[in-house]
Amino acid sequence: MAWNPGEDVVAVQRAPKPGGAGGAYRAFGETLRGLKTTFGRMLERPVVYQYPEEKVPVYPRFRGRHKLHKFADTGLEKCVGCSLCAAACPADCIRVVAAENTPEHRVSAGERYAAVYEINLSRCIFCGYCEVACPFDAITMGHDYEMSDYNRTDLIFTKEMLLAEPLERTPLRTEDE
Amino acid sequence: MPRPERRFVTFSIDGREVSAPEGVMLVDGAKYGDVEIPVFCYEPKLGAPVGACRMCLVEVEGIPKLQTACSTPVKDGMVVHTQTDRVREAQNSVIEFLLVNHPLDCPVCDKGGECPLQDITFGWGRGISRMVEPKRHFKKPLELSPLIAIDRERCILCYRCVRFSQEVSEDYQLVLNERGASTYVGTFDGHPYVAPFSGNIIELCPVGALTSRAYRFRARPWDIEGAGSVCTHCPAQCNVEFTVRDERVLRVLARDNEGVDDGWLCDKGRFAYQAIHSEERITEPLVRDSESGELVPATWEYALDVAAAALQAGGSKTAALAGGTTTNEEGFLLQRVVREALKSPHVDSRAGLPQVDLGLQQALAAPGLQATIPDLEFAHTVLVLGTDPIDDVASLDLRIRKGVRRNGVKLAVATSRPSALDPNAKLWLRYAPGGEHAFVAALEAAVTGSGDLSALCDAADADPKALEALAALLKDGGEDVVILWSQRLGAAPLPALLNVAAALRLEGRDGAGLIEVPVGGNGRGLREAGVQSNGGPGLSAPKAPGKPAREIAAALASGDLSTLWLLHADPVRDYADRRLWERAAANADALVAHATLLNDTLREHATVVFPAESYAEKEGTIVNLDGRVQRLRVAIGRPGAVRAEWQVIADLSKRLGLDLGVLTGPMATRQLVEAVPFYAGLTLKEIGGRGVRWQEREAASAAPAAPAGPVESGEPLPAPRPNGALRLGTYRPIWAAPEVEVSPALKFLAAKQQAELSPVDAERLGVDNGAKVSVTAGDATVLAKVFVRGNVPAGTVFLAEATAEQSATELLGEAPQLVSVEPYGQRPPVPLEGLARGARPSDDEVNS
Repeated sequence: MAWNPGEDVVAVQRAPKPGGAGGAYRAFGETLRGLKTTFGRMLERPVVYQYPEEKVPVYPRFRGRHKLHKFADTGLEKCVGCSLCAAACPADCIRVVAAENTPEHRVSAGERYAAVYEINLSRCIFCGYCEVACPFDAITMGHDYEMSDYNRTDLIFTKEMLLAEPLERTPLRTEDE
Repeated sequence: MPRPERRFVTFSIDGREVSAPEGVMLVDGAKYGDVEIPVFCYEPKLGAPVGACRMCLVEVEGIPKLQTACSTPVKDGMVVHTQTDRVREAQNSVIEFLLVNHPLDCPVCDKGGECPLQDITFGWGRGISRMVEPKRHFKKPLELSPLIAIDRERCILCYRCVRFSQEVSEDYQLVLNERGASTYVGTFDGHPYVAPFSGNIIELCPVGALTSRAYRFRARPWDIEGAGSVCTHCPAQCNVEFTVRDERVLRVLARDNEGVDDGWLCDKGRFAYQAIHSEERITEPLVRDSESGELVPATWEYALDVAAAALQAGGSKTAALAGGTTTNEEGFLLQRVVREALKSPHVDSRAGLPQVDLGLQQALAAPGLQATIPDLEFAHTVLVLGTDPIDDVASLDLRIRKGVRRNGVKLAVATSRPSALDPNAKLWLRYAPGGEHAFVAALEAAVTGSGDLSALCDAADADPKALEALAALLKDGGEDVVILWSQRLGAAPLPALLNVAAALRLEGRDGAGLIEVPVGGNGRGLREAGVQSNGGPGLSAPKAPGKPAREIAAALASGDLSTLWLLHADPVRDYADRRLWERAAANADALVAHATLLNDTLREHATVVFPAESYAEKEGTIVNLDGRVQRLRVAIGRPGAVRAEWQVIADLSKRLGLDLGVLTGPMATRQLVEAVPFYAGLTLKEIGGRGVRWQEREAASAAPAAPAGPVESGEPLPAPRPNGALRLGTYRPIWAAPEVEVSPALKFLAAKQQAELSPVDAERLGVDNGAKVSVTAGDATVLAKVFVRGNVPAGTVFLAEATAEQSATELLGEAPQLVSVEPYGQRPPVPLEGLARGARPSDDEVNS
């Protein structure tokens, strides 16, 4: 026995039948309304950016490739290799191996420094948690997003690469932009 | 003291009715009701609580002030609150005070992430501090010892480390200097805190004040994995947890097992893991090149072929020795291959010690006569016979001290060499090295009241009055007597020891019995697996008795045996009579060895060296002193080309024409369990993480029945009379091991030869502490530095065995012997041809 849907039946609303004055309006009026936008924009300049020759400026808080920092005055690394960024990283893409500073070989300001600091950028999701976790502001997210490469292993950035002054490849949005 | 009975009392905590054992402290009692009370200074392993940190304050109804839960025992009907405003305010304030001087350098601190201070601050702290004043500063980092770094700024003065040093390891080195706010932890005069158990304070410290220098900045808690296993460096077989990062062991922590180690580790167990990753580790098979005569790396197939050919050529003239970290399974497979494929009866694992009659072994291994390790703590009387636990089974030293200190155990120490336990002992006795048999026979005479006590004491050079006092202590001091005796006593005294045990009615009594300290990490397990000349698996009689290690050496040297197969054994270094073993190794046609590190013997004489697994890479079972079968688990991958040892033995066996039928590690375990009747039905799952004593399982009834009745103990030989020369006593220091020498952290402790002399002898020889002497027996000479030790009996010199250089095994021959000691370097050594073993040097020679 077939199930009686009873009150549950939903009436499907269909478009009005074509024909008559309404049909004519739909055929020409609506088309003209659309064309108004088309012709209205005809005199504007194109908005396509000619990337990579031309780049969209990023906002100051844009989260691009990481940077490691040094103290400006002493030249020592800010990073002490505490590995909190690695703990915070949800993608598990940071590897830190710490070592001890010696008077002859002083790398950072504290007792320890990061002997190995690697970020696997092919895994990084650019969430910025590392920056938040860092107790010494040693790691920040930069603005560079141009990191494509021919080889996955080249996307593992070492401490030297992260410490190096990055190429200023990305324009920063000014305040009024 | 027998174990106290546990009665339960009911009290109320935070409105819950909780039942907890009477007498436990509130902190522990609260856990029965799932209430957590934060603590810093409280640690039950350290003994009585001190209430120093005030973190555990709780409100107890009827007591106006807040009470420290760590030092308030639970009482029936007690009503406790831990969640009131008063308590919370107190906890917040304690944390705030503790953090007044704490530097909060968590990002740099090694404890960060596993730090109780961090956890408790997050859980019970105020979250902000009102203290803006400058903090107290100390110079940091400082070395407390080469193994431990101390950061005094971080210290919260919980006293844990000091209590450990004062009340657990009893080395009395750590103290709190100064008073009040200037208090700091250190040694009294600032000397480095070097002690056999110093590493435990790293684990005890609830903040990052004491950190391991070997682990310094190596990893964070979220970088690492823990892997539970068992340490095989000595027969104590403490349970450990390896800290592993990137397939490397970075740290060893204690894995508390009340039945084995009580949660402590010695520094060897804690730091000798570094040998696993030593540069000198062999990671590929080495085969002697016929042209250059050097060991060169080879493929496994080639190495196995060469080794199999060598063993095949040796055939029934092959002898095999196992030792060190060999597991039961490896030992079992080894003896199968040697006995079944090579048809040779010569296997041994007894470290060159005399062969013990199988019936005697069965009698000593009787389940009823076996005491357990916790029994050492609760017995009425403990007799330590012929062993110094600190050197032979380190963690038992702490166990015995704990029994004496906390449970009033009456301790008696009977050794030839002054023992570290002497100060704790109610009674200590000395006998002459070589007089072991006479001493135990004298003890038997004193306990049973028959036999000529004075003559036997004379033969052992022991004090008859002290022996009578010892017998009285054993007989009248309470029924629970545990005798901890060493395999080093040899074979002859064992019947007398059995008779002593029978006279004291130790058989079948819970909490009493004998515990043997074997030589080698798995000495007991290897014997039970059948790796001995006169015993097959399960202490059964083998088809044909073989030669014990010493005779193997003689036979190899004379050419009666041709091939030597070594499984983790280094007889030249470890066994007595070094020169005989050197000759044996040189004379052998072929020498096949499984080793982790190369030594001179292998470098010069080995035909094939297989890279062996370290204990962190092994899987298998081992047996503890009291019959606890424990499980080794794989913590890290094998480096280089290293293969599992059971696999190498099985591959060799296949080439020798015997299919062992072992394709995985657990299959070897199953074969072992089937072959040893008293292991029957044992599975790896049943052994689990804590091990299981085979005596406590049903299958223990299958243990071989021991011959009944008193055993004929034989006529003891008297200990040699010094008569102007000196008796030679030897011991194996805890630091005399290759793994200590290759561990960078422990290297500074590696044992160097020293001659322990009594003040009388030192004065007679005109030498002082640190002077160099030559110790000569026959044509062998060992150079040593003098260490004048007040309680060394006059007429005896003690030398260390198994040191890297100048080992006393050089001087050890067949019989106990006399040596002459001469100051070295002041004048040319007197030719001593006339001074054969036991011969008497003229007074001129000795006195000049």
